[in-house]
Amino acid sequence: MSSAAEGAMTSHELASGGGPVPTGGVGRRVLGNASLVVGVVMTVALVAVAALSLVWTPADPNLAAPADRLLPAGSHGHLLGTDALGRDIASALMVGARTSITVAAGAALLGVVLGTISGLTAAAARPVVSESIMRGVDILLAMPGIVFALVLAATVGAGVGSTIFALTVFFVPSFTRVVRAAALRVLAEDYVTAAELYGRRKVFILARHVLPNIFSVLIVQFTLYFAAGILTEAGLSYLGVGVNRPAVSWGMLLKEAQDTVGVSGPLAIWPGLAIVFAVLGLNMLGDGLRDVLDPRLRKRSS
Amino acid sequence: MLVFLARRLAFFVMALITSSILIFALIRLAGGNVASVMLGKAAKPEAIAALSKELGLDRPLPVQYFDWAWGMLRGDLGISFRTREPATSLLLERLPVSVPLALAGMILALLIAVPVGTYAATKVGTPIGAFVAFTSQVGIAIPVFWAGVLLSLFFGVRLGWLPTGGWVPWSASPIDSIRSLALPVIALGLVMAATLSRYTRTAVLDVMNEDYVRTARASGMTKRGALLRVGVRNASLPLVTVVGLLAAELIGGTVIIEQVFSLPGLARMVLDQVQAREVIVVQSTVMIMVAFVLVVNLIVDILYGVLDPRVRVSR
Repeated sequence: MSSAAEGAMTSHELASGGGPVPTGGVGRRVLGNASLVVGVVMTVALVAVAALSLVWTPADPNLAAPADRLLPAGSHGHLLGTDALGRDIASALMVGARTSITVAAGAALLGVVLGTISGLTAAAARPVVSESIMRGVDILLAMPGIVFALVLAATVGAGVGSTIFALTVFFVPSFTRVVRAAALRVLAEDYVTAAELYGRRKVFILARHVLPNIFSVLIVQFTLYFAAGILTEAGLSYLGVGVNRPAVSWGMLLKEAQDTVGVSGPLAIWPGLAIVFAVLGLNMLGDGLRDVLDPRLRKRSS
Repeated sequence: MLVFLARRLAFFVMALITSSILIFALIRLAGGNVASVMLGKAAKPEAIAALSKELGLDRPLPVQYFDWAWGMLRGDLGISFRTREPATSLLLERLPVSVPLALAGMILALLIAVPVGTYAATKVGTPIGAFVAFTSQVGIAIPVFWAGVLLSLFFGVRLGWLPTGGWVPWSASPIDSIRSLALPVIALGLVMAATLSRYTRTAVLDVMNEDYVRTARASGMTKRGALLRVGVRNASLPLVTVVGLLAAELIGGTVIIEQVFSLPGLARMVLDQVQAREVIVVQSTVMIMVAFVLVVNLIVDILYGVLDPRVRVSR
C-alpha cells in the first residue's frame, strides 16, 4: 500500500508543476531549480498557444490571399506578416504548435506505453526472452527514425498518422532500455525480495512495486522524447515526408519558405524560432524534473 | 579477443538479416500490392498484373525476399521501373557527395564536443560551466535544417563568402566542391556537437568522481593532470558508445542538410524515389543506410573491446 501511495503522491507533485507543493523540501527544490521553472513557463506557453488555436486564430492558415502576399511583420491584421500566397504566418505558427504537440506527444505517449511493457518484460522475464528483447532493441536502434518515415511515405503516403507511427517505432527501443534499467534497480531492492518470499507473483510485483517506483523516470523520459519528437517531426515535414497541408507544421512552413522566397527574410526565421522555443522549453522541463524527482542523479549530472 | 570478435560479428550478421526482413516486411505490409503503389490509384488491373510479373512480384514473398537479399549481397539494388536505370549506379553517383559530408560532419562534431564537454566538466558550478551547459542545451533545440538556413543566411547571403547551395563535382573543381560542402558540414557538425558535448561532460564528470582519479589527485597531480593521465581513457568508453548511437542520427542529419543546401546526394535520390513511388529502390537504399549504421556500431564495439579489456571477457 505504501508504495502505491508514494506513486500517487509523485504524480500529484507532477500535476501541480510549478505551483504550491505540499512538502517543504520538494518545494524548495522546485523553486530553486531555474531549469524547471523556466521549462514549465515555456511549456505552458506552448500548450496555451496550441489550445488557443483550437478556438481562435487571427486568420485561416490555409486561406490564400494573393493581394496580401509577403506582407512584412506588423502589417494590419497580420502580426507576423504573410507568406508567398498571402497566408497569415502567425495563424500558421499557432496551428503548427498544435500539430507539433499532437504528433510528438502522441508518439512519446505510445512509446512510453509500449516501451514500459517491453522494458518490464525484459527486466523480469526468463533470460532467453529478456536477451532476445534486448538484442531486438539493439537492432532497432540502428535504424534511423527517418528511414521508417521514408519507407512509410513511399508506401502508405505521408501524413500525421504515418509520422506518429514512424516516431513511435523510433522511440520504443530506447524507452525499453531505460525502463529495463530502472526496473532492474527496483527489482534489486529488499522489499521486492520480501514480496517474492511472501509468494507474490511477478506481475503483481511489477504492477505494485516496480511501476510506481519508476514513474518519475517515465515522466522525465516522456518530456525529453516529447522534445525529440518535435524536432524529428519538423525534420520529416521539412523533407516533405511528414505532415502536409491542410495540416500545418513548423518544418513544413520552413520548407515552403525556402521553396518560394529562398532562405532570406523572416519567413524562414519564425518557424525555426518556434521549434527552438518548444524544444528548449521541454528539454529544460525534463532536466529540471529529473533533478527534482531523482536527487541521486542530480549529484551526478550537475 | 577472438571469441569477443566472433560474437560481435555474429551479432552484426544477425542484425543485418533481421533488419532486412523488417524493412522488407514493413514495405509489403504497409504498402500492400507494391505494383499498384508504384503505378498509382488510377492504374488498370492489367497494367498492375504486367508490372507484377515483370518485377517478379507475383512470386511467393519468401522467394522475393531471398532474391532481393541475394541481389543486395552481390551489389545489385534492383532497377528503377520508370527509367530502367540500375539503382546501384544511381547510388554510386551520389556517394562522393554524401560520404564526405557525413564523415566531415562527424569529425567536426567530435573536435568541438570533446574539448568543450571536458572543459565544462571541470567548470561545474561556475558561471562559465553554466553558460556552456546552457549553450549546448540551446544547440540541441536547434533543428539541423534551421542551423543550415541561418548559416547560409549569414555566410552566404549577408557576407557572400560561401555558396548557399548547389554542388560542383569533384572532377570539375575540388576547391569549389569543398566550398559547397563547407556550410553543410558546419551546420551538421555544430548541431551534433551540442548533443555530444553534453554526453562528454557527463562522462568526464562520472570519471572525476571515481576513486582512481581521487587517488591521482591525492598523490599530487593537478586536476587537469589527473584527468589527462587516468581520466581520458575511462571517459572515452561511454563516448565511443555515443558515437555509435549518433551514427543513426548522422544519417538523418545528412539527409536533411543535403536538402537544405540542394546537394545531389543520397537524400535527394531517396526523396525523388519516394516521390516517384519507386518502392524497390527505396527499399534497397534504406537497407544500405541501415547497413552503414550497423557497420559503424560494429567498429564501435570492437573499439570498445580494445579500450576496455573487461568488455572482452564479460560479453
